[in-house]
Amino acid sequence: MIQVAGLTKRAGGTQILRGLNFEVAPQTVLGIIGASGSGKTTLLRCLNGLERIDGGAIECDDVRLAAELAPADYQRRVRALRRKVGTVFQHLHLFPHLSVLDNIIEAPVHVLRVPRTEAEARALELLEALGLRSAAGRFPESLSGGEQQRVAIARALAMRPSVLLFDEPTSALDPRRSAEMRALLRRFAAEGHTLVVVSHALSFLIGLADSLLYMEGGEIVERGPTDQLLAAPQDARTRDFLQQAK
Amino acid sequence: MTKSIRCLCGALAALLLLTLATGSVRAQEQPVLRWGADPSGGAPYVFADPARPDEYIGYEKEMVDALAAAMGRRPEFVPTDWETIVSTLQRGSFDVIINGLEPTADRARQINFSKPYYIFQLQLTVRREDERIHTLADCRQRTVGTLGNTAASRLLAQEAIPFRSYADPVGAYRDLELRRIDAVLMDVPMEMYYARQNPRLKPAGAPFQRGTYVVGLRKGDDALKAQVDAAIDKIMRDGTLERILRKWNLWDDAQAELRAQLEAPPSASNSNTAFDLTNATFNWPEAILRLTRAACVTVLLAFGAMLIALALGMPLALGQLKGAKWVQSICTLYIEFFRGTPVLVQLLFLYFGLPALGIALPGWLTALVGLGLNYAAYESQVYRAALEAIPRGQWEASYSLGMTPVLAFRRIILPQAFRIALPPMTNDFVSLFKDTSVAFAISVWELATAYRELANATGQFMLLGVIVSAFYLLMSLPMAHLARRLERRLQRRQTVAAVQAEVAA
Repeated sequence: MIQVAGLTKRAGGTQILRGLNFEVAPQTVLGIIGASGSGKTTLLRCLNGLERIDGGAIECDDVRLAAELAPADYQRRVRALRRKVGTVFQHLHLFPHLSVLDNIIEAPVHVLRVPRTEAEARALELLEALGLRSAAGRFPESLSGGEQQRVAIARALAMRPSVLLFDEPTSALDPRRSAEMRALLRRFAAEGHTLVVVSHALSFLIGLADSLLYMEGGEIVERGPTDQLLAAPQDARTRDFLQQAK
Repeated sequence: MTKSIRCLCGALAALLLLTLATGSVRAQEQPVLRWGADPSGGAPYVFADPARPDEYIGYEKEMVDALAAAMGRRPEFVPTDWETIVSTLQRGSFDVIINGLEPTADRARQINFSKPYYIFQLQLTVRREDERIHTLADCRQRTVGTLGNTAASRLLAQEAIPFRSYADPVGAYRDLELRRIDAVLMDVPMEMYYARQNPRLKPAGAPFQRGTYVVGLRKGDDALKAQVDAAIDKIMRDGTLERILRKWNLWDDAQAELRAQLEAPPSASNSNTAFDLTNATFNWPEAILRLTRAACVTVLLAFGAMLIALALGMPLALGQLKGAKWVQSICTLYIEFFRGTPVLVQLLFLYFGLPALGIALPGWLTALVGLGLNYAAYESQVYRAALEAIPRGQWEASYSLGMTPVLAFRRIILPQAFRIALPPMTNDFVSLFKDTSVAFAISVWELATAYRELANATGQFMLLGVIVSAFYLLMSLPMAHLARRLERRLQRRQTVAAVQAEVAA
């Protein structure tokens, strides 16, 4: 479960996020939509601590990250927050010098100090579940885009996060793969994860997201259950965006 | 386009003609006597006037003026380097050597000598407080500094006394003061000028071992030799030479003896060899042994310096990339200083400048540290480029998996950066191997110094050059080969693992 209160972020004098308030209920999927430059990705980067927030607070389970914390304290909370939050980047950022298996066990072994054999067993389970068991010894560059994405997901899942963040998960997938990915993400939610998915592909979010959040100019314009927001958008700007997206 | 080229060619041709014309006109005026000598640390022979640094003075300068006048020639001074002076004469850069040249047996094989114009003696100098050394025999277990390629250095070699060659007397006497060596053996004229006035030094014993100075000439230049000999005769007889030597405080009884010899039968001039200090013949096993020893020093310098460079380069790179503002400025200052000034100047500074702050390192250590500090600046830039080549996403992915910056750097960034940095690092290492040769400037006996000294002593520039090059290649080629293998292994590990996985599946 995530709670965001009064979140602001500035960069070089411009306000990128202007006081966001929202929460995501446990085991639900939130889809974030909006045009490029609306602040979606920055929001996601705030949620995993890659951007330092300038105002407000982010709460995830029992970790509360607030802008007013002293730097050392802030850093500690960021690290605690990252234990709760797993990220799958748009460009994946797999480690090219490590095999698929090593990509997955790197953080559990060196951050959580899980014994290597245990970490490997768990990684193989994850790969099995993602249909990638045979790729364990290969290097990322030899995999297809879809396979690489599933490795990135397995890498995030290996840290047992309660929240998963996805940035544009369909950007490298064809329609059939997109449908599979949707089913996969749905399964994660069913298994107990809370998901935040940033995507400009509205069709991908339909049937996946429990609720949608529309952003424009660093503000939340509208937020509601997916069906409701699509069927009857309250704000003219949302209506306009949905019109264009169709 | 073609027009401008034609213009350029025309201009060049005109310039060439002009040069030729003025040259021939001048040649008709009066023949030139081009004389070579080393003016650096060259007092009292020939040196830059301290009061007017653009003019050369010295007793030999005045003597040459007198000689040239007697020969009806116009003297033209060609500044050169003492160590290689014989070879430089042979290749025709000047007509005569007039630089306190001693007629040694090995030189006699390469060039001709005039009759002697001066009789010198050697003087041993020690530190003021030294009570251990009184004669050369007291130096058997100590190191004596001297000028390279001189009668003094040959005497020391002959007596099997450990010695270090210097390019000029200043460096030798300074190292004596700094306790890097125990004594200095030098011709009296130099000793008079550079050590006699120094309150921290004193002469050990009286001057000994007579020798002569002669004019060096190319073999076959017999007409010139006759002219030079006649001119020496003339300025000796008419007292010009005595006047000059007295002015420079160099006249003594030995010079009077030399003048008396003029009246003796011509065979007296053959007694030159009576003063000869060496009959050392070139011996190949000895030369190879000395080269091998020098090669070991080169290897030590290269590896030691590279270790320093590798160790210091990373903090510099990180400081420049990630440090606070002031750390960045310091790192940048360091890098720009060491990259922007010649390594030779840095070594001279470390060797001769640092003692002023009370830090007098031995020569080999100075070279090792100096090259290390210098190459650290270059390595830091290799590291920096390699680190910057790693996409920011790699850091971010590491952070979002909960890694600390240190862990991310060690496990994710560094292994990838290393692969990128390996080829340029190999490159630098190979060039460091060759750069160790600048250590000759501070009298470290490494491979290039050894080449210079052995080749100067024997004139075997060609053959020794080939051998020394082979030594360098023997050292640098395996390095390059190892690095290439490492590179390939790093590359292959990925491919092989991929294939293995494929097969297993």
